[in-house]
Amino acid sequence: MAQLFDRSSNALARMSLVLTGLIVIALGVTLDQLQRSPWVTRQGQRPDQPVPFSHKHHVQGLGLQCQYCHVSVEKSSYAGIPPTKTCMNCHAQIWTNAQLLEPVRASWATGQSLTWTRVHDLPDFVFYSHEIHVNKGLGCSTCHGRVDQMPLMYAQNTLQMEWCLDCHRNPAKNIRPTSEIYNMAWEKPAEDRPVWCAVGGEKSGLPTAQSVSCTTKDPGAAGAEVASLQLPLSPEGLAGDVAATTLPAAPIYKKFTSQDELGNFLVDHYKIRTPKDLTSCEVCHR
Amino acid sequence: MSGQKKDTNLNQTPMTLAAVRQELKAVKGKKYWRSIDELSDTPEFQAALEKEFPGAAQEWVDPVSRRGFMKLMGASLALAGMAGCTKQPDEPIYPYIKAPEDLILGKPNYFATAMPSPTGAVPLLVKSDQYRPIKIDGNPEHPYNQGSSDVFSQGALLDLYDPDRSQHVTFRGENREWAEFAQEFRLKAAASKDGTGIYFLSSTITSPTLARQWSEVKKAYPKATLVQYDPAIAGTSLEKGVNVQYSLADADVIVSLDADFLSGAGFPGFHKLVREYAERRKSPEKLNRLYAIESTPTTTGMKAEHRLGLRTSEIPAFAAELAKAVGVAGVDAPACNWTGEQRKYLAAVVKDLKAHAGKSVVIAGLHQDQSVEALALLINNALGNLGKTAYPVDPLNPLPSDQNADLKALVTDLNGGKVDWLVILNANPVYSAPADLEFTAAFQKAKTVAHLGSHYDETGHDAHWHIPAAHFLESWSDVRAYNADVSIVQPMIDPLYGGKSAHDVLQLLLNEPGLSAYQAVRETWKPVIKGDFETGWRKALHQGWIDGTANQAFGLGNAPTPYGSKAPAPSPKDSLEIIFRPDPNIYDGRWANVGWLQELPKPVTNLSWDNAALVSGATLTKLGLEEQDIVELTVQGRKVTAPVIVAPGHPDNSVTVYLGYGRSFAGRVGSGAGFNAYLIRTADAPFYTTGSIKKLEGKWGVAVTKSHFQDHRSKAMGGQGNGNNSLEADEAINERGIIRYATLDEYKANPGFANEGPGHEKTDKSVTLFPNWEYKENAWGMSIDMNSCTGCNACIVSCYAENNIPVVGKQQVRIGRNMQWLRIDTYFEGDLAAPRAHFQPMACQHCENAPCEQVCPVGATVHTPEGLNAMIYNRCVGTRYCSNNCPYKVRRYNFLLFSDFETESLKLMRNPDVSVRSRGVMEKCSYCVQRITAAKIEADKENRPVHDGEIVTACQQACPASAISFGNINDKQSKVAKLQDDERSYQVLADLNTRPRTKYVAAVLNPNKELEEAPVEHVPVKG
Repeated sequence: MAQLFDRSSNALARMSLVLTGLIVIALGVTLDQLQRSPWVTRQGQRPDQPVPFSHKHHVQGLGLQCQYCHVSVEKSSYAGIPPTKTCMNCHAQIWTNAQLLEPVRASWATGQSLTWTRVHDLPDFVFYSHEIHVNKGLGCSTCHGRVDQMPLMYAQNTLQMEWCLDCHRNPAKNIRPTSEIYNMAWEKPAEDRPVWCAVGGEKSGLPTAQSVSCTTKDPGAAGAEVASLQLPLSPEGLAGDVAATTLPAAPIYKKFTSQDELGNFLVDHYKIRTPKDLTSCEVCHR
Repeated sequence: MSGQKKDTNLNQTPMTLAAVRQELKAVKGKKYWRSIDELSDTPEFQAALEKEFPGAAQEWVDPVSRRGFMKLMGASLALAGMAGCTKQPDEPIYPYIKAPEDLILGKPNYFATAMPSPTGAVPLLVKSDQYRPIKIDGNPEHPYNQGSSDVFSQGALLDLYDPDRSQHVTFRGENREWAEFAQEFRLKAAASKDGTGIYFLSSTITSPTLARQWSEVKKAYPKATLVQYDPAIAGTSLEKGVNVQYSLADADVIVSLDADFLSGAGFPGFHKLVREYAERRKSPEKLNRLYAIESTPTTTGMKAEHRLGLRTSEIPAFAAELAKAVGVAGVDAPACNWTGEQRKYLAAVVKDLKAHAGKSVVIAGLHQDQSVEALALLINNALGNLGKTAYPVDPLNPLPSDQNADLKALVTDLNGGKVDWLVILNANPVYSAPADLEFTAAFQKAKTVAHLGSHYDETGHDAHWHIPAAHFLESWSDVRAYNADVSIVQPMIDPLYGGKSAHDVLQLLLNEPGLSAYQAVRETWKPVIKGDFETGWRKALHQGWIDGTANQAFGLGNAPTPYGSKAPAPSPKDSLEIIFRPDPNIYDGRWANVGWLQELPKPVTNLSWDNAALVSGATLTKLGLEEQDIVELTVQGRKVTAPVIVAPGHPDNSVTVYLGYGRSFAGRVGSGAGFNAYLIRTADAPFYTTGSIKKLEGKWGVAVTKSHFQDHRSKAMGGQGNGNNSLEADEAINERGIIRYATLDEYKANPGFANEGPGHEKTDKSVTLFPNWEYKENAWGMSIDMNSCTGCNACIVSCYAENNIPVVGKQQVRIGRNMQWLRIDTYFEGDLAAPRAHFQPMACQHCENAPCEQVCPVGATVHTPEGLNAMIYNRCVGTRYCSNNCPYKVRRYNFLLFSDFETESLKLMRNPDVSVRSRGVMEKCSYCVQRITAAKIEADKENRPVHDGEIVTACQQACPASAISFGNINDKQSKVAKLQDDERSYQVLADLNTRPRTKYVAAVLNPNKELEEAPVEHVPVKG
């Protein structure tokens, strides 16, 4: 009986082994990539919303401040979605007949909530708090991107665990002065964009926002006025006549020209916990 | 002590009882045991120990064939792979139309209110998330309970969200509207002119406003009749308005005459009494001494320095003897053959009481013969305690009455056809009325019956009209706490099912039928609140009570007793006494559908999901029974079948049965659990009677959690090496130092007793494979005072509510799968027939060198830089290695999908800060990490360290004895650090080098030397 398999079968067998290996690897890589792809993370996707609300128009165009709508961002884990009333504050007066705003008026008239689709949606086993991030110098745009340039809302980032950890391992690279939290156009300091910071009264119990004062205008050139506006007022100062109180000695400003320097300075003075603490599981999972 | 005395293996031939006794006798030191089975090592017990989770494999083998199993697993594996790639579903956001002004979404609000109870209201502070009540705790500013709570008030949360609450007004089973009922009732009442034929049957009225409304109804309809009936209160002195209050702060000697004042809110003043009792137990310098004379084993007796178990009918006679001996004139003690031990006990108590005249107190049991209350008052009077430790005061409840007599009269009227309208307010008499009144039959003769109740229960089914009642968290009312402060009950949420309150029903008969309960309550207090009413009212709502109401209601009267002090003669020694007590968990049955309370192991017996006939070991032997046998209890020809179990320390020839079980229409949780003891309870003998017991065929199969939590690690790994042992068995057999205590004299001789001797080794930090982690800033730790803990279980129910812990059901509890993160281990000590118990709350110890972490293959349980042993649910794949390697057996595994993800009303109840765990996930105590994180965020915002006392764990918050402290042990000024540095503090199983963060403060007892010497041996308990 003739050989069942030709000698060339050996090569085929080897090939198929290699091929199987490759397929397994490819499958792994595909799944891995799929897991990180916008199809899963919804990064960059603009879901259908009852009203095509434009952050660009309201923030950049009209100059609304973030907290006008997201009222609890500094006070609570949840930033807050505005009640219909907030929309009606203006839209009872302007664009009162716009077809686009019909759902808003319907909600106002019927008492039924507008049903938005959550764009930034964390899994239920993740416990995220806006208040601590905002209070420790993490700006809105760091996570949410240039919302002021988004006609329709989408997630700038994946919101996946590796993305969170990337910052929790080294918060210095994203921290900015708390006075710049709502500045959508904030950019990292550079040689031509320096930031000056001075340490305020670093008494224990003084809120983070008051522990450091920073400015993007040269305090030396602009005069002490600009800088002193950001100085923390002591409780005694508040109680007495502000004008009459003698200002504390002019603070010593330090100039920062890179994010690393500024970040490390702020991490230090905002008393941000160490990466070891921040990457501990119970910080987000419980 | 004799640690090495017994190195024979447990697995050898079972010990006879004689051997057990020999065993105990030979031991001079302290010896602990958990259940009699364990001590005598029966084959059944060994079988139960076979597996870590007994019967764990059953689920897999029985219903699914191997082939089916493979198919299922194949499919689920494929799905599991896919699940990793699926997207989260779209999540909608429903914003407010107009946001409430004072609500910050994501931050809870807190509101003061109070839970009505016939034994005195519990002032509460309710945590509300988006105006949904999600956690109930005591009002920390209220002078009565100072923030503590109890199992009932904790469980009331689940009662509010109970999906089985009735949801519609019905008439003969058809849905109707409230307005239809209102119209009909009002017209019929008006037609009767003077109220003839209109009867109200209510649970004990606790609300001053409701009492006022009733008096107005009475003015409008003079012939209308009100009957109050609460099965746990009817027949006690409390219903008649007798109210003797106690203050234990200055009591050096406390004598309890069948008063179970340490177990739960079923005893009036529980929160205050436990607090004051425990306060004196915190430091050995000011120890009090507790004598407990009791008829059924309770935590009060188990905590007592000296406990005397007497048959319940002997207690009045004993009280009379005691009164005679302390010099009360004119007391006639009925004849009783006291044993030498009992005489000795009596003499010692008398001597101690006399030595502490004016600084002692005798507390009468609520469910004893009423002569005991009178005698206790006379004894306190003779000792000069009145006005110092005991205060007879005005009635707690506004309308005192003789409930059983009134109910009897109502039944007579029903049978006489005089009742046109019977309106039942929040009572369930069809279920709970005394059996001899034949209430159900009489009830059918009423022309119309309307039932206001939270559930469509036994009475609701038989009534014509049923009206859903509003929960106390849904309606306005007012109540008095034990110290008589009036609290406003303010609603936390709109009635979920449009419920109505008793106020609404009574108001129907008045001039303004639509007047809301809110307006009625305000009207009541308008004359009382001084100054501007609106300001005063808001203040009362805010702080939780109305200023000045405590003193107004109280007068220091001099022992007015509406009943005699003549003690009845004890029943013959050989007759079988049957004792009826409200259940420690579900009370008279009102909490029957609260899963948390059903699953809660009862104090002392550790029985859950059932009631049972509790007997002593000797009685069990005498009757030729075995545990879990089904017996028939007969009282005057009425019969009920029950399982029998042994309660250590139960007096012989008597049986205790708890009320509240055997419900037929309680709901999905409570229906069918246990047996209905009301069926053999009569109006003239509400709390004890005599009867007989007969063995029937078969076994009941009760869920007792005693022999759960087994350790089967090898010797090398720190276990016993014989394959199966519980923490408790370890303690019974070896000296592991799990329970450490000393008498006051021993403590004085050697204050460091807790950390000396065999088994009491301290951790050696140098013995480690891994470099020691340095805890720089925060290091969370807990301290539990073993001297204060009374085993009342409030902490466990609080933990349920805080941490979204699921209820698993009786069958799952039987195979050891109950999910409570915290359990209270009960270690009995000493004489088998008259033991003492030590209660040890046991939750995750947060070991610095945690054995669980080292064996987790997926890093789902890890250590945090602050020393928490964190559990990461989303990483857990369910290998259960961690639980296997935990020497404390505190990890709980979701064998099945125990959490309810479907029922809408339960979703409202959940704590939003804690994950709801799914199937296949391990869980355990987290030290309330969500509260730690919240406090840290607050502190970090303000750039300051977390203050001591800022973090309060759920168990700590509920504890009426303040036995639990929590905080940063690195902060040497913190309370917990000071307690942990106390020389009495010890770690459990410290010799394993686990370095637990929870430390226990060893108890110091204050025994009477006369009684301590030469204790009396009792008859064998088990043959």
